[in-house]
Amino acid sequence: MFPKKISNNISVPKKKRKNMLSTKIQIRGQPLHRIPKRNNRVIHSVACGVSTKPLHRESNVLSRMSGPSSGSVPTKSDKSHFLSGDVTGKFGRFGGKFVPETLMSRLIELEDEFHCILSDHEFQEELTIALRDYVGRETPLYFAGRLTEHYKNISRTIGGGPEIYLKREDLSHCGSHKINNALAQAMIARRLGCSRVVAATGAGQHGVATAAACAKLSLDCTVFMGATDIEKQFSNVLSMKLLGAQVKSVEGTFKDASSEAIRYWVENLDSTYNLCGTVVGPHPCPIMVREFQSVIGKETRRQAKQLWGGKPDVLVACLGSGSNALGLFHEFVGDEDVRLVGVEAAGLGLDSGKHSATLAIGHVGVYHGSMSYLMQDDQGQILKPHSVGVGLEYPGVGPEISFLKESGRAEFYTATDQEAIQACMRLSRLEGIIPALETSHALAFLDKLIPTLSDGAKVVVNCSGRGDKDLDTLIQRGMLFPNC
Amino acid sequence: MAASATFRASVSSSPSSSSSSSQLTHLRSPFKAVKFTPLPSPRSKSSFSVSCTIAKDPAVLMAAGSDPALWQRPDSFGRFGKFGGKYVPETLMHALSELESAFYALATDDDFQRELAGILKDYVGRESPLYFAERLTEHYRRGNGEGPLIYLKREDLNHTGAHKINNAVAQALLAKRLGKKRIIAETGAGQHGVATATVCARFGLECIIYMGAQDMERQALNVFRMRLLGAEVRGVHSGTATLKDATSEAIRDWVTNVETTHYILGSVAGPHPYPMMVRDFHAVIGKETRKQALEKWGGKPDVLVACVGGGSNAMGLFHEFVNDTEVRMIGVEAAGFGLDSGKHAATLTKGDVGVLHGAMSYLLQDDDGQIIEPHSISAGLDYPGVGPEHSFFKDMGRAEYYSITDEEALEAFKRVSRLEGIIPALETSHALAYLEKLCPTLADGTRVVLNFSGRGDKDVQTVAKYLEV
Repeated sequence: MFPKKISNNISVPKKKRKNMLSTKIQIRGQPLHRIPKRNNRVIHSVACGVSTKPLHRESNVLSRMSGPSSGSVPTKSDKSHFLSGDVTGKFGRFGGKFVPETLMSRLIELEDEFHCILSDHEFQEELTIALRDYVGRETPLYFAGRLTEHYKNISRTIGGGPEIYLKREDLSHCGSHKINNALAQAMIARRLGCSRVVAATGAGQHGVATAAACAKLSLDCTVFMGATDIEKQFSNVLSMKLLGAQVKSVEGTFKDASSEAIRYWVENLDSTYNLCGTVVGPHPCPIMVREFQSVIGKETRRQAKQLWGGKPDVLVACLGSGSNALGLFHEFVGDEDVRLVGVEAAGLGLDSGKHSATLAIGHVGVYHGSMSYLMQDDQGQILKPHSVGVGLEYPGVGPEISFLKESGRAEFYTATDQEAIQACMRLSRLEGIIPALETSHALAFLDKLIPTLSDGAKVVVNCSGRGDKDLDTLIQRGMLFPNC
Repeated sequence: MAASATFRASVSSSPSSSSSSSQLTHLRSPFKAVKFTPLPSPRSKSSFSVSCTIAKDPAVLMAAGSDPALWQRPDSFGRFGKFGGKYVPETLMHALSELESAFYALATDDDFQRELAGILKDYVGRESPLYFAERLTEHYRRGNGEGPLIYLKREDLNHTGAHKINNAVAQALLAKRLGKKRIIAETGAGQHGVATATVCARFGLECIIYMGAQDMERQALNVFRMRLLGAEVRGVHSGTATLKDATSEAIRDWVTNVETTHYILGSVAGPHPYPMMVRDFHAVIGKETRKQALEKWGGKPDVLVACVGGGSNAMGLFHEFVNDTEVRMIGVEAAGFGLDSGKHAATLTKGDVGVLHGAMSYLLQDDDGQIIEPHSISAGLDYPGVGPEHSFFKDMGRAEYYSITDEEALEAFKRVSRLEGIIPALETSHALAYLEKLCPTLADGTRVVLNFSGRGDKDVQTVAKYLEV
């Protein structure tokens, strides 16, 4: 699968770039080895100047050398080897690379670059500093005292009761977890010498995060967004434009925007980088995005240890395609005593036909380049998803998520629009945190989950985004408040 | 209107004031009657002003006061030089004294400090990063490669998106310690209201926000947000139905319900001890900055820049460095449509000294001593007064104050969004706009720390209209 390696350094003409200030603070990742100009079309792998032992190249894509550890280069334990995905991007029968031939070489190139940066100390350090100073990591693991009390009062327990913690991804720059991945991939795009980044966005969070990262790294940015989504999330559209991105309207929703982004990318392969926002798509996208989001879980492990000297008992996350869920789960997949719970959007109800509960009612098929569960009719046509949480409106799900379901490692449930809205209002009132409607699905599920848990069980909910973008939706729904 | 006149004219006319008990008798105002004498100011045309017979002679203070370390900020009367003080009705004097004692007690209470630190860390998301703005630095680099280094103190990353929460959280905790179950606040654009509603939800306190009826219309989204957080939003229709009227109404409520209610003032304005308290609660900004500057470059900042409305975010950054005289402090106010247009909020540049909302400070007033309605595209800077400590710094020359028009602020908003991928609040954009004038004058390698006081999501719709995005 992998082409023959060229082991000596390749000296290529460096692209003329503005004289960027390099300071002690931000080590400007001057790429060590540039991939030759696009129209050269030579496929070769890049020597990264660290180790190119064949063993490492061919082994499990995730086990890499522990280079100088800045805390963000993880070492995987072999225990979870079978759950991590292999070199061809398969998770059991899911995943893979179902793409036209034109894209194959680019994907291989991307994969090579990804392997490279995983052990590139300079890249990792630049990323860590950017995550700290630009994004605002690490995000707190916040004990939601009043929410915990609320559930205790309902069940009328005296003392005891499970404890609820929120992983505050809503505090990240741009207001959701999306920036973790957008920033890292934009840095890769720059390394690859791409001048333009394209992305597709549903709720607009990934679009805004991509636009922000591109502004910071001086890359041009084009975001594709469904027309219906543009209407619903108008302030995100404005934000993207203010950040310097071009926003292109596509008829339909996120799935159509995704298709359009891929089409644009195929037509402009030489200069363009397709920044996938979530753990779907052909290999290596799912593992790349998951890797960059996994900082969430890594921090959680450390913080849990500090806070209560142990691990979480249950992890809960909302599930659209799966990026925030995998970001939290991945670190703990090998810990069998940690329950993984994903919550999909049941929209107007599973029987209504208006929902996005892919795992609940979907069938296996190929979509957007990988094999996974998807919402399709008897003719294999993709069904139109619906949810009040626009970011969950995707008729598919990441292949690794499908695998976690099938292997029984994770459990998946659903929450309706109404339940999500109620949960959003509850958290606002009890904790002063207005969660995104997507996140609210995970919070809604606590109603059913908490009564089943033992006293002192530690539940960590991924508070994947803040809800400022959803205020218009809530107003439209005519939310009434007692104190009006 | 009568009530607001009271605040400007100051204070106690009740004969029993001398017998009203207070633990800290030296804080009781000795004024027994309202007295008006003109201040010895050549410019002053106001029909009344207050003579400060209790404070130390300002002239003496200023002569002795070239070393900031020797300044009393504030003194025991709550004054910063001749500014500050407690120009309030007698009914509030006890509450203010109680507040002051509680504040001093809690400053040394380890449990309180630990709880506050924990909330600032896990709930608010501190510490906020000191971010090196590479592209902005490059933008200001001169032809010969020289230029200052720009750092942004990222208060925009805090929960609720601005620095306001630092003070709101601390005051809510303080209120709880005092056994108060009811919180009131005033708000202009809604940012302080949202911060207050947020902390009240977090701590389970009843929350009432006073907001000018006109502001409520302009900021419907923030009103909704406050209600979603469980607060009651009361519209104020008196006067011009904006911030200053909401403040007066809130003070009126506090006078009526002082036993059960704590008033969370949003800025370093108001009667003592508020300017000192709010400053001290925001001082975490400057403290972190000192630590981070030391870590990053082994030194101190050379210049601090912050926007100034009431002055809380600026004081939060400046306070730590006031005694470091080599650190320049620059406050940037709103020049609105221009200083000559009459539509601006540049209090320190164009204002006169008077008393507003309980404190003596610079304020925008006409010849009859009536408050001039300020204007700025950014609601948070739209305040006709300014914190007394800023007035003091201005007169002492410790800090420099400039102003930036709406247009310049919009340009800066656009520029920083595109260069750094961070959308600033329109308030913060004023400070960012001033960099255009400041940076060309700075030596190579000068380290500038700008307080990035808030994010601009709330302003995106406003700006889009102006910029036709």
